[in-house]
Amino acid sequence: MIKRLIRNDIKQNKLLSCAAVFFMAVSAMLLALAVLLFSGLAGAIGSLAEEAGMPDYMQMHAGVLDEAAVARFAEAHEEVREWQLCRFLNLDNSRITLGGRSLADSTQDNGLCVQGERFDYLLDEENNRPEVLPGEVYVPVCYRNRYDLMVGETMVLSDAGGGGDIELLIAGFLRDAQMNSMMASSKRFLVCETDYEAVKAYGSAHNSAREEYLIEFLLRDGADTNLFGAAYAAEGLPADGPAITGPLIYLMNALSDGTVIFVLFLFSIVILAISMLCIGFMLSLQMERDKREVGMLKALGIGNTGIRRIYFAKYILFSGCGGAVGLFAAFLLKAPLEKQMRELYGMAEGGWQTAVLGCLAVALAEEIILLSVRGALKKTEKLSALEALFSVQKRKTGRVQYLMIGLVTAACTVLVLVPQNLYSTLSDPGFVTYMGIGNAEIRMDVRQAEEIDDVTGRVARMLERDMQVETYAVLRTRSCPAVLADGRTVNLTVETGDCGIFPVSCLEGMLPKTQTEIALSAMNAKELGVAVGDPLRLVTGGKETEYTVCGIYSDITNGGKTAKAYQTDDDAPVIWSVLYVSLRESAKKEQWMRRYRQPGVDVTDIADYVRDTYGQTLGQLRLASCLAAVLSAFVTAVVTVLFMRLLVNKDRYEISLQKALGYTAGDLKRIYFTKGLFPVAAGVFAGLFTGNLSGERLCGTVMKIFGADGFAFVILWERILVLVPAVILGAAVPAVIAGIAEIGRIKACECCMGRE
Amino acid sequence: MLLRVEKLSKDSILHEVSFEMAEGEMLAVMGPSGSGKSTLLYHAAGMDCPSGGKIWLKDTEITGLTEDEKAKLRLHRMGFVFQQMNMMANLNILDNILLPAVWADRKRSEAELTEKAERLMRKLGISGLEKRRITQVSGGQLQRACICRSMMNEPQILFADEPTGALNQSAAAEVLAELIKINRAGTGILMVSHDCRVACCCDRILYLSDGRICGELALGKLVQGTERQREERVNRWLTELGW
Repeated sequence: MIKRLIRNDIKQNKLLSCAAVFFMAVSAMLLALAVLLFSGLAGAIGSLAEEAGMPDYMQMHAGVLDEAAVARFAEAHEEVREWQLCRFLNLDNSRITLGGRSLADSTQDNGLCVQGERFDYLLDEENNRPEVLPGEVYVPVCYRNRYDLMVGETMVLSDAGGGGDIELLIAGFLRDAQMNSMMASSKRFLVCETDYEAVKAYGSAHNSAREEYLIEFLLRDGADTNLFGAAYAAEGLPADGPAITGPLIYLMNALSDGTVIFVLFLFSIVILAISMLCIGFMLSLQMERDKREVGMLKALGIGNTGIRRIYFAKYILFSGCGGAVGLFAAFLLKAPLEKQMRELYGMAEGGWQTAVLGCLAVALAEEIILLSVRGALKKTEKLSALEALFSVQKRKTGRVQYLMIGLVTAACTVLVLVPQNLYSTLSDPGFVTYMGIGNAEIRMDVRQAEEIDDVTGRVARMLERDMQVETYAVLRTRSCPAVLADGRTVNLTVETGDCGIFPVSCLEGMLPKTQTEIALSAMNAKELGVAVGDPLRLVTGGKETEYTVCGIYSDITNGGKTAKAYQTDDDAPVIWSVLYVSLRESAKKEQWMRRYRQPGVDVTDIADYVRDTYGQTLGQLRLASCLAAVLSAFVTAVVTVLFMRLLVNKDRYEISLQKALGYTAGDLKRIYFTKGLFPVAAGVFAGLFTGNLSGERLCGTVMKIFGADGFAFVILWERILVLVPAVILGAAVPAVIAGIAEIGRIKACECCMGRE
Repeated sequence: MLLRVEKLSKDSILHEVSFEMAEGEMLAVMGPSGSGKSTLLYHAAGMDCPSGGKIWLKDTEITGLTEDEKAKLRLHRMGFVFQQMNMMANLNILDNILLPAVWADRKRSEAELTEKAERLMRKLGISGLEKRRITQVSGGQLQRACICRSMMNEPQILFADEPTGALNQSAAAEVLAELIKINRAGTGILMVSHDCRVACCCDRILYLSDGRICGELALGKLVQGTERQREERVNRWLTELGW
């Protein structure tokens, strides 16, 4: 009996049934997709980290290394399971050519290394440890797409004159659990021991390579990496370079590929809410229409449970169909979306666990929607048989339908807008200020030179005399121990110089202007437990000097743990220096950059830097934006056509009466078209407004987790005001036309036949 | 006693109404519009909660039951015929008739129930309409289908609210004849009607005015050929009561 009731009901309400299944399918698909991708990414990062033996704590060090001191430290600390020293031959980017393409523009620290002895293995695309033969090199997998590389091409290390001195054959691509993400500032190329030594000798001879060390520790389960880091720093061990912890590496990996999942998750929540709203509303309409039938059933003795079963069974069927379609679509879309993750982390083929997870996500989405169905049915349960039998059907104005169109349009506008804004913000050169980098045009890194300070001074003098340069700033980075309240010391990487010329975004306070002021990155301030105005003692020149914390800024570079001071003790060795430059409008940037490129000095266009760092994320975000735009347009179209159709059905009597009085179908369609388009336009307007406000807050909250605090959207108004309305209106206008097409089929005589 | 109503009150509509109905009795409730006839009927059927008083169906006190228990009672022991012939628009005539039976007895096969429904349809002269939609039959046929539906679970009592109110004269006569047949077979009928010709076929008539029983007329079982005399007697009685 229930089967027949459902079958007949679906036959008579095809549009409503299709819409219900559509909403259930889309909600299930998005949630399942977000869950599958998240679990895939988390699992892949985890399993790559495990297979590669990713270190829990890693200290980079450029300079003389006291290996025995590190060994003593490791022995003295029980939490150390294993430790090792990895050599990293940092190469001058301008001397590297990959498959015929120069890496001069690269903002990464590219270097050679050999396979780890005990852990931190570099893996090939099958997640095996590759055997590298002499003359061969394994290239980071993230460079394959970036430089369009293929196995069999060559990597050439040239001399200053551009001559091809050392040539290595690209034998494969490797996954680096530590540095896979473009957000990691270094990239390792794997060579054999012989080639490493040869390049090292060659690099020393031509001043194009500098050996650095990665001091790596594997800790026992449950060990606190931050405490371990503090203990390492307190011992005064080699620490001329950033320290990176396991969780931070996970975070960087998750950030580059998690953005698309975040967008999908956000999308699934909004679509779920839209589905609940629309299905709840459709059911309320049906219950209002079927009130007398419900009353009759109650009078016959079919209790609330029975009535619930009759109506609920239909939605169970819808959710089954929608869930199956959604699950199928999720698995279809999963493959292209996880392509990058698969390449970077080597995601394992999902077995039954993936299927179960997908099913669970679908079940969750369906259960949430069915809750709204239950809610709508509950209203009917409260009615007595008599109330239901004899209540007069309310004449509704249709305001709710217009409101629903407006609300859904606004929500869909937000969904198109937020990923677009996020994309334009992340791709904007100004975004670097959230990364702890000054908003300049060009960045010059001096890291390779033997005498960094001298080279920096020489370049600064050149800039001073250069008429094409409008402004420049020289910032030197030194490592200074900071004394904590309990007497312990922690090494701080302090950038000194006039940070105010190309300021970074400060969350609190301001950048240092006097010699006794220091600004800290948000992560450092949190770890040191200091706020703006607090004193901080730094050990410079062998003595403690008290500084005042004048500001806290966002930074996601160098592990997020940096500091900026106007001046510290100049005797401490400079680890690296950065020169920010802004050119006059008349200057030709490319030419100028070529002129300044020299051994040990990387000259980078900041726009390229952003592209390099966020390239992977932006690619994923572009994909997510497109998906969001297509789905939003589709949802807008379905909801608009549905509610316009319901509106026309509700007004059937009036439309018929107006026709009887002499209105033409065209006249009436024009009226309803205007009525339908108004909430769409209002929705687009409201969506643009709320999307820019709430979207910024939401993204800001997420970016804060990753260290980029005080986030603000970079809004490309000309794009937003044209593209977003075009997508939504492009879907809504044909939908309104389709929704009111029924007006043409309503006969003038219907009103006389009492078909109200 | 089949039905006992004791001091039934409902807000300002019914005031301490009491009456009894014997097994197999056909009782009509008459009265002017707004006198509380339908309210009395629906309260007696347990579809609404009174503000005072008690109702028993045989030994079961309806007023003391929960909503679900009352629903179960209606399903198994009561039958309903409405003036508006309410039926499910999504089901054909046969399925509508089967609906309460399927719900009441899940163990019985649908074939068995269908056979019973078809037998009832034949009895009420609507055989052949099984597959028709409810919009494809006449008012009289639809009301007879409603009677079939009400009889599917073999109720002890049938409640009928103006069962002929929406029908033309000949259809009304057909429906009334069927109700009499059902009553003769032993089912008690409590009926609300405006129509004197319908009421005079009942064993007894209660006259309700302003929510109070103002008169009672015992007519006894209808004997063929006495309809006219009964109608005249009822008309006289109603005139005395100010109808």
